[in-house]
Amino acid sequence: MKAQPFYKRLPIALLLVILAAALVPLAFRSNQYAMVLVTTVLLFAVLASAWNIIGGMAGQLDLAVGAYVGLGAFTAGTLLIRWNITPWLGMIVGGFVATGFAVLIGFPLFGFKIKEVWYALTSSALVEVLRVIFLMWNEVGGPTEVYLPAGTNPWYSLRFNTYTPYFYIMLVLLILVIYLNHRIRNSRLGYSLLALGEDEDAVEVLGVNSQAAKLKALMIYAFISGVVGGLYACIYGFLHPSFFSTAMSTEIAILGIVGGMGITYGPLIAAIFLVSFREFLRASLGGQLEGLYLVVYAVLLILIAMFQPRGIAPLVYRGYQKVLALIGWRRHGQPADAQSH
Amino acid sequence: MLETVTQSIITGVMMGIIYALIALGLSIVFGVMNVVNFAHGDFVMLSMYLSYVAGTVLVWDAVATPLITVPFLFVFGVVTYYLLLDRTLRHLYVVQLAITVGLQILMRSAALIIWKAQPRALQYSFIQGSFEVGGINILTSRLAAAAVSLLFIGAIAYFLNKTWAGTGMRAASDDLDAASLMGVNYHRTYALTFGIGAALTAVAGGLLMSFQQTDPVGGVRFGLLSWCVLALAGLGSLPGLIISGIIVGVAETFAITFFDPRARLLAVYLIFILVLWLKPRGLFGRR
Repeated sequence: MKAQPFYKRLPIALLLVILAAALVPLAFRSNQYAMVLVTTVLLFAVLASAWNIIGGMAGQLDLAVGAYVGLGAFTAGTLLIRWNITPWLGMIVGGFVATGFAVLIGFPLFGFKIKEVWYALTSSALVEVLRVIFLMWNEVGGPTEVYLPAGTNPWYSLRFNTYTPYFYIMLVLLILVIYLNHRIRNSRLGYSLLALGEDEDAVEVLGVNSQAAKLKALMIYAFISGVVGGLYACIYGFLHPSFFSTAMSTEIAILGIVGGMGITYGPLIAAIFLVSFREFLRASLGGQLEGLYLVVYAVLLILIAMFQPRGIAPLVYRGYQKVLALIGWRRHGQPADAQSH
Repeated sequence: MLETVTQSIITGVMMGIIYALIALGLSIVFGVMNVVNFAHGDFVMLSMYLSYVAGTVLVWDAVATPLITVPFLFVFGVVTYYLLLDRTLRHLYVVQLAITVGLQILMRSAALIIWKAQPRALQYSFIQGSFEVGGINILTSRLAAAAVSLLFIGAIAYFLNKTWAGTGMRAASDDLDAASLMGVNYHRTYALTFGIGAALTAVAGGLLMSFQQTDPVGGVRFGLLSWCVLALAGLGSLPGLIISGIIVGVAETFAITFFDPRARLLAVYLIFILVLWLKPRGLFGRR
């Protein structure tokens, strides 16, 4: 396994998708709405792929992505507003702030062996706690929207007039996160996480420190979410406590679940299909009745969960294998469901 | 000062008993079926809107609206169970979570379509008003709501302990396979459980509408509140549920009175997180 260069371990389809994605802005250059859409898809894909590390692999149903995104956004935003520090740096600092918070929360949470629904609910509550705290914290804006300065050099203040640069930055983040997912999955940490997602006690007996493994997964996930949060603030151009969103946190977890728990490309596939479907519905139905697109979207989510409980990624993967077989190029020694354990 | 404290405690106790009633529906669904219902708070929201509709169309008092909304919500719960949950019971809990989250989005956006984003409230209820006891101001609406809530919690306790269906529910909660062998039809038992869980939110919705307004996202608050009460109480103890409801209600009013009205949920969440960390089975949990 180790001897292979990493590009050989990536499916060809992924490289094609990345290549196609990189060309998207050229096609939509004049269409800002399409750029907003694809950037949103990427944003959700990055977050859901990061969630896959703690949620999919380790089986910890984390609903706190909004907390880490919000912390990252407020860190990067406040650094830029107060001290004119570039968000490039602010994003990293935001990532570390989010990681610090994750350690603060994760250490007792995993130490007291809080699991399943209770873990989900505590993490969800944390988002709301942070939202209220930031609502009352007037030094960073309180309930008002605080705007990020545009600055003279858009590359310094990361404030662009178009979505294209954000799209590319997000695409780079996505590739990094997917690669990270891939690496973790084939590492000692990844095996520990996957195993403890199945049966924690058995893993402990085998000598794996499950608390440390979960904490590591949580830290990685929080760091990525914090970095994305910094970028999030720049894209929207303001800071507001509503960034600590329980709805967004739940949605990211749902993308991870319906994509296929623990499958590297699951969240990406789910984000591409579901987020663009939702935005398409919003565009086509939003004008007639506010909220109608969400009804359709919710019905779709329910149907996937009911009839495809292992996620849509195995479906897509099987389709991909069929296409390969059709064009007469089949990989050897790889059963069709190797990715979906 | 002492008067303010007593005042807060009394208001908190009365609100807390209503919270206990809301959490009771969640508690029996989670306890009996082991289903994580993320949409529970939105059932409350839906109930409140239905009470609003019944109250405006029929010109009924909010307190009387459960006469209509309770059967409606019961049927809604049973249908939801058979349509969505029955076939996924043996799946991972994340699948049920995904389904109930889908249901939550569905109910919330349906409410947004039907009733728009403005908050809705009913006319003054006949239980509106207040009286004074020893310098303490008591809101009649809260007192009546708390009394009715206690009544319903008592009725559920009677149902669970004294009737065949209730015993079947408890048996299914303890050991589903053994209960099935003893002739408990678990599909029907679970449908009944989910129906009752939904119907209880209709009672609470009617009571809440007598002194509160409702909006499409109001369910979030009730959902997390009832999970908090449930975490505090643990499963299987009705008196524990009432006491936990009261603790949550008092914590909420204390946060409003002594800290900041915006922080009302903060105190609740902090209790929630601390209890989960320190006493994961709850204060009164049987298991």
